[in-house]
Amino acid sequence: MADSDGEYIEASDDEYIGGGGSYGTRGRGKGKKGQRADGRAKNAWELSAKTGLESYRESADGTIGKSIQEREEERKRKRLRKDTKAFQRGIIRHIVLVLDLSEAMLEKDMRPNRYFTMIKYTQEYVREFFEQNPISQMCVMGMHDGICIRVSELSGNPADHISAIQGLRDPKSSTSKEPKGSPSLQNALEVSRATLYHTPSHGTREVIIVLGALLTLDPGDIHKTIKSCVQDRIRVSIIGMGGRMHICTQIVSRTNSGDESGYVVATDQELLRELLLATTTPPVIRSSAPTTDGAAVPAESAASLLQMGFPSRIVEEVPTLCACHGNLTRGGYTCSRCKAKVCSLPATCPGCHLTLILSTHLARSYHHLFPLRNWVEVSWQRAREKGSKQCLSCLSDFPEPPSSHIAHTENGAESSNGAANRTAAVAAASRNTAPKGKQKKDDGSNEDELATASESFRYECRDCKSHFCIDCDVFCHEVLHNCPGCLGGAGPRKEEGNVDTEMSG
Amino acid sequence: MNAIDGTDRHIKSTDGPPPSLLTIILDTNPFAWAHLSSTLPLSSVVANLLVFINAHLASGNANEVAVIASHNKRTAWLYPTPVSAHNTNGHISAQNGAASHTQNANKYQPFAEVETNLLSNLDDLLKTTTPDDLSTTTTQIAGALSTALSYISKSTIRHSPVDPTLLKSHAILIDDGNLTSQRINLVSRILVFSVSGDLASQYIPVMNAIFAAQRQRIPIDILKLAGDTVLLQQACDATGGIYMAPESPQGLLQYLMMAFLPDATARKSLVLPSAGSVDFRAACFCHRNVVDIGFVCSVCLSIFCSPNLQDSTCLTCSSVLSLSSALTAAPALIPRKKKKRKRAPGDGSTPGGSATPLPGNGTPMHT
Ligand SMILES: [Zn+2]
Ligand SMILES: [Zn+2]
Ligand SMILES: [Zn+2]
Ligand SMILES: [Zn+2]
Ligand SMILES: [Zn+2]
Ligand SMILES: [Zn+2]
Repeated sequence: MADSDGEYIEASDDEYIGGGGSYGTRGRGKGKKGQRADGRAKNAWELSAKTGLESYRESADGTIGKSIQEREEERKRKRLRKDTKAFQRGIIRHIVLVLDLSEAMLEKDMRPNRYFTMIKYTQEYVREFFEQNPISQMCVMGMHDGICIRVSELSGNPADHISAIQGLRDPKSSTSKEPKGSPSLQNALEVSRATLYHTPSHGTREVIIVLGALLTLDPGDIHKTIKSCVQDRIRVSIIGMGGRMHICTQIVSRTNSGDESGYVVATDQELLRELLLATTTPPVIRSSAPTTDGAAVPAESAASLLQMGFPSRIVEEVPTLCACHGNLTRGGYTCSRCKAKVCSLPATCPGCHLTLILSTHLARSYHHLFPLRNWVEVSWQRAREKGSKQCLSCLSDFPEPPSSHIAHTENGAESSNGAANRTAAVAAASRNTAPKGKQKKDDGSNEDELATASESFRYECRDCKSHFCIDCDVFCHEVLHNCPGCLGGAGPRKEEGNVDTEMSG
Repeated sequence: MNAIDGTDRHIKSTDGPPPSLLTIILDTNPFAWAHLSSTLPLSSVVANLLVFINAHLASGNANEVAVIASHNKRTAWLYPTPVSAHNTNGHISAQNGAASHTQNANKYQPFAEVETNLLSNLDDLLKTTTPDDLSTTTTQIAGALSTALSYISKSTIRHSPVDPTLLKSHAILIDDGNLTSQRINLVSRILVFSVSGDLASQYIPVMNAIFAAQRQRIPIDILKLAGDTVLLQQACDATGGIYMAPESPQGLLQYLMMAFLPDATARKSLVLPSAGSVDFRAACFCHRNVVDIGFVCSVCLSIFCSPNLQDSTCLTCSSVLSLSSALTAAPALIPRKKKKRKRAPGDGSTPGGSATPLPGNGTPMHT
C-alpha cells in the first residue's frame, strides 16, 4: 500500500457509499490476483470468506482471463449502483465525532494499536468529510475514563479538528491523552446532545461514535438519554471494534427510526477506515420519522432559505488586517455585504455574520442531488445495431461483435490504445470458447438491479444512447457526474438543451 | 500520435520529464467567431494553434495532444479522429490513409498528422453545421470539458495500468500536488480557447467538471479571446490553471508560447501569470443572473437571487422553505430556539418524498 497512485484514486471515494452493507464487496476475489496489494488483499479475503468462496466457484468453470476482466468490471459497476436515486440528502450537516479514548483502545489487533490507528484515520476522515460536506460543521469529543471530554469545538474548519486530534496523541501537547478507564456512551450522548442543541433546524444532527470497548459505564439510565436524543432528532451511528453490543444496536436503531445499518463493526483497520469514510456521504433525509412512543417527533429538518454571500477574491498592493484573525495579509475575500476581509472560505463573516462560501463549495454537493443515471449493459446484438466502434469519450476501441472478433484483435493490438483493448479482446475471445460460466449469469441478470459486466464491454447511456467503456462509466459516475454524450449533444436532438437530461437524471 | 507503449514507460518515467497530454478545447461557436472575424479570424487562430501544438509535441518525445471542438449544439473530436459508427467510416479512414501517404517530406510526420486530421475534422464540422444548429448562441463547453476529462482519465489509466482503485487508500491523504508525481506517468492539462460568454445555463455540469478536474489535479487553462464568463475564471482558479484574456489577440502565438506551453511539471519552477482578483460570484438558478449575495435552499442548495419565491417553494426541489433563518442572522445562541423548533412540524414544511426533482418537471435550471 505504500505505493500510492495519487491521481485517479482519490476520485473514487464514492466507493464507500453504502456503509456497512458494502464491505462484502471487498472480497472481490482478490486472492486470485495475488500480485496486487498483497497485505490488504489478504485481510479482505480472510474477512469476507463468503464472498471469496463465491468468486472461487465462479472462476472454476470460466477461464482466468475472462473472469478477471469480468469480475473487475462487475466490481466497478457494483459500486456505481448505489447512489443514483435522487434522494433528498442532508447537505448541511452537524456532526459530533466521538472517539473512544478508553483502555480498550490499547488493544493491538490493529497496528500499532487501535488508538493510533483511530487517530490516523480520523484525521483523514475529517479532511474527506469537509471535502464532501463543505458547508457542514463538526465537533470532536473523546470518551476518556468515564467522562466525555471535548477535543475540538463545533466548527467548519477541518484544520482545527485535525490539529486537535493530532494533539491527543502528541506527548508534548497539553491536550495529550493516553487511553484510560472505560467509556460512557450515556455521557457522550448527553454532551453531544448539548452541543447539537443549538444547531439550526435545517441541518442534520448526527453523532458518529468510534467505540473500541465492549462495555459502557454509565452514571444513569441510558434509555432516557436515547429517548431525548430521538426527540432532538439526533441520528447516531456507531462504528464498533471487536464485537457487537446490544445497547449499541438499540441506540442506533432508535435514533434512526428502526434502521440498524448505522451500527457496524470494524474487524480490521482497513475496514475501520472504509466504514468511517462511508459516513462522509450525506445521509438521506427521511420524510417523516415514525413515532415509536406516540410522542410527536419533530420533523427531520425544516427546509429553509439561507442567505449566503459569494465573495470575490482580491489581491492588494499593501497588506491590510483581516477581519477573522487580525493578521496582516495581502489579499483574501471580501464579504459581499460589509466588505470585511476574510482569509479563507467557507467562513462566517466576522462583521455581519453572513455565511461566505464559494459557489464551488455548493457545487460539490450537486452530484448527490442530481445524480447521473446508471448506464446499462449492452448486448452484442445491440452493439451490432448501433455499430459503435469506440467509446464516445475516450475513443478507445471496443471489441467487435463476436463474428469478426479475431480480426479485430490484431487491429486493436496495433492501435495506440491497444493495451487496454487487448485484454478486452482476449477476454471476449475466451468467452466464446467457454461460454458456459457466463451463460447462467446472463440469464438471471436484471439490468435494473444487478450490476453485471456488459458482454460487449459497452455501456449505454439511457438518455443519449451513446456507448462508453467501463473506465469512462466508472469515471463519469464516480468523479465527473456528467454524461459526455448528453452534454455533447449526442443522440436524439431535442428542442431543449441537453442540460435537461443531465439535471433530471 | 507517438504514444508510448507499455514497455518503455518505466524507463521514461525514471529519467526525463513525464509525458504530457495537452487537451485543447476549441470553442467554435460561429456567432462569436463571426463577431471576431475582423480582428482575429478563426483561420489565423487555427494556424497559431497548430504551431502551438507542434511546439508541445516537440518539447517531449512522448507528449500527446487531443483537440475537441465545442460547437453550438454538440461537441466534436478534432484530433484524434474518431471512428464513426456506420456510414462515414469509409470516408474517414480514406482520409486517414491520405493523411499518412501524402505527407510532405519536409514536415515531421506527427506534425503533419495532427494538422491534416484537425483541419479536415474542423472542415467537416463547419460543413455539417445546419441553420438549425444555430438556434442557440452558446457553446457546449460542459460537454467538451466532460469529454476531455474522460479522455484524460482513460489516458492516465493507459499509462499506468495499475488498478488505481487498489491504491486509493492513500490518495485522500495527499493534500497537495507534491506527492502525486510519485507514480503518475502522465501529466495532463486542458486548455480552453474560449470565445463565448454566457455559460450560466450549464452551471451544474460545468461545476461538476471543474470539481472533477480539481480532484484529478488537471489544471484548466483558459485563453479568453472574447466574451466574459465568471464560470471559466472559477474553473481556472479552482484547478490551478492560468487565465488569460490577451489585450491584443493578434499576438496570439506569443501568448500561447509564453504562458501556456509549460506543462504542470515545468510550471513548478516558473512564475506564472497571476489571475489577480477573481470574481467568484454564482449564477442564480431562477434567472441565470450572476449574484454576489444569494439565497440558498437548504435542501438542494439551489441558489436564488431573491428570497421571494412563489409560494415559498424551492423551484428545484419543491420543498417549502421558511425564510426566517435567512434574514435573522446567527440564531444559534438564542435559548428559546428549542421551542421554536418544536413548532416547526406544525406548519407542514416537511420536505416530503415528492420533493425529489422529477424528470420533466421542468426545473429552473433548464431555461
Ligand atoms: Zn484571517
Ligand atoms: Zn460581512
Ligand atoms: Zn471510454
Ligand atoms: Zn448520455
Ligand atoms: Zn434569479
Ligand atoms: Zn431546493
